[in-house]
Amino acid sequence: MQRTAVARRKKATPIWVWQIVGVLFLLGSWYLFTSVLKLQPSYVMPTPEMVWEEYRYGFIKSDNPNDGQLIYAIGNSLRRVFTGYGIGIIIGVIIGVILSTNQILRAVVGGWLIALQSIPSIAYIPLAIIWFGLNEKAVLFVVVLEATLPVALALSGALLNVQPAVVTAGRNLGAVGLKVYTHVLLPASLPNIFTGIRVAWSFAWRALVGGELLSHAAGLGQLLETGRNVSNTALVLATMIIIGVVGVLFEQLIQRLENRVRSNYGLEVRK
Amino acid sequence: MKKLLFTTLLLIGAAHAQKATTVRLGYFPNLTHAAALVGLEKGYFQKELGNVKLTSKEFVAGTALNEAFAAGEIDIGYIGPGPAINGAVRGLPVQIIAGASNAGAVLVARKGSGIKTYKDLEGKKVAVPSLGNTQDISLRHILKEQGLTGKVTIQPLAPADVPTAFAAKQIDAALVPEPWASLLETKGGTLIGNEKTVWRDGDYPTTVVIVNTKFAQENPELVKAFLRGHIKAVNFIKSNGPAAQTSIARKLLELTKEKVDPRVLQRALKRTQITTTYSVEALKEYADLNKEAGFIRTLPDWNTLINNSYLNEVK
Repeated sequence: MQRTAVARRKKATPIWVWQIVGVLFLLGSWYLFTSVLKLQPSYVMPTPEMVWEEYRYGFIKSDNPNDGQLIYAIGNSLRRVFTGYGIGIIIGVIIGVILSTNQILRAVVGGWLIALQSIPSIAYIPLAIIWFGLNEKAVLFVVVLEATLPVALALSGALLNVQPAVVTAGRNLGAVGLKVYTHVLLPASLPNIFTGIRVAWSFAWRALVGGELLSHAAGLGQLLETGRNVSNTALVLATMIIIGVVGVLFEQLIQRLENRVRSNYGLEVRK
Repeated sequence: MKKLLFTTLLLIGAAHAQKATTVRLGYFPNLTHAAALVGLEKGYFQKELGNVKLTSKEFVAGTALNEAFAAGEIDIGYIGPGPAINGAVRGLPVQIIAGASNAGAVLVARKGSGIKTYKDLEGKKVAVPSLGNTQDISLRHILKEQGLTGKVTIQPLAPADVPTAFAAKQIDAALVPEPWASLLETKGGTLIGNEKTVWRDGDYPTTVVIVNTKFAQENPELVKAFLRGHIKAVNFIKSNGPAAQTSIARKLLELTKEKVDPRVLQRALKRTQITTTYSVEALKEYADLNKEAGFIRTLPDWNTLINNSYLNEVK
């Protein structure tokens, strides 16, 4: 959408320039309020320099046992979220397909799923710790759960919205049994499924951070807790920024895939 | 927005310039904070403060107390030296003005964990109340001496949750302050390191009294009055064993709604040295260990962090 707007006004400044200006403005005001005006003591609101220092130590390994901890934490969190997200999508697809087959089941279980989804992921943690222990299984459980629900709900909705004519056409062309799903229904509902997959990502990512924070599994969430424990607000802020950046990067990636799928289906103008 | 911030700051500044009408105390419901428990239960602080009202708030860990300190919600606090040092390094306006307890933490292993000596900790999971706190640093010191650095998983876990984690075999041992350690022992835990073998033959501060530097500068008389109450409480605990136990048990019951077994309390008190002094060398060694563990990168300014002048005046 951004590109079409740019295309219309060829001479206008490209959007990315404005995005950079926005980031610089934010960094500038942060620097002004903390480093120059010192509106708050640095243990309340860290300066950009302090956060930068956390990155320098956090990304470069040295003798200090905690140096390089950001790389380690990012690695751990990504591995965990991809595992949980992957499993969640698979389970979500299975549940979604089952739900779409039966109206009564949908009426009964669909409501449960929405109720489950309304509970913030962090609320599952105490129970997950008791079930799985103080380890990463508890975190994975929450991530899987958070990724499963949006996919299941989006898929069952999407399958139902496939026009009967499409299914009939598929059957006439020889699709029977499972093939109706794999060759007709799933491809036809793919654009809607992607919406669920994108929502599932942001749910899973947030659940991961909360889970790591509470269950003490090494990762970005746990870094927040460490920063808090040793009164290092700069580390807390540095970690929060990474969480935000990683979240946006993957959201964008999925959005691109989604756009490609949608345009393949003629739902969006090919750019 | 800027104007609002400035106005807020001006208001805070104005509030600070006036003499305080309340003293806000922070402490933990732990035996290592016994002086605070007794001082509150017996009303020693309030008596010394006279017309100035004492309010108190309990915390579960130094982390939370430091946060309250940073937010300006607490004037005086009982806290472990670990968080006090970490806070000072980050610029928290804090001064250590007295000791409160020494030692009082032991290493207990879970029944069936196979741990009998420090050496057996290799490859095991050991709980400490929180990362960078006093017990965490003690544990790192033990591991370093045993050549086990990096070979043990250190798990931050609230002491109250340790018995459950032991039962579920989620952790193998715990280095916890009293009375939690004695409680673990009565539930079948094995004592691996006692309060003396944990560090420096037991001559290390577990709890110190800190004050907001600005508050102390503006209200030196209140700080001294508080310390008089602190000294009274410490002396009471030292000279009146059973009466002190009753006082502590009563306060703990009020705070945690849990009745503490007198035997547990007695054993726990034996392991904790309630005091008004502290070893400065131990504090410095602490900071070195904290730095080695990577929790801080610079050492605190000892000249501002340590201030015994108030204590010396009322002693």
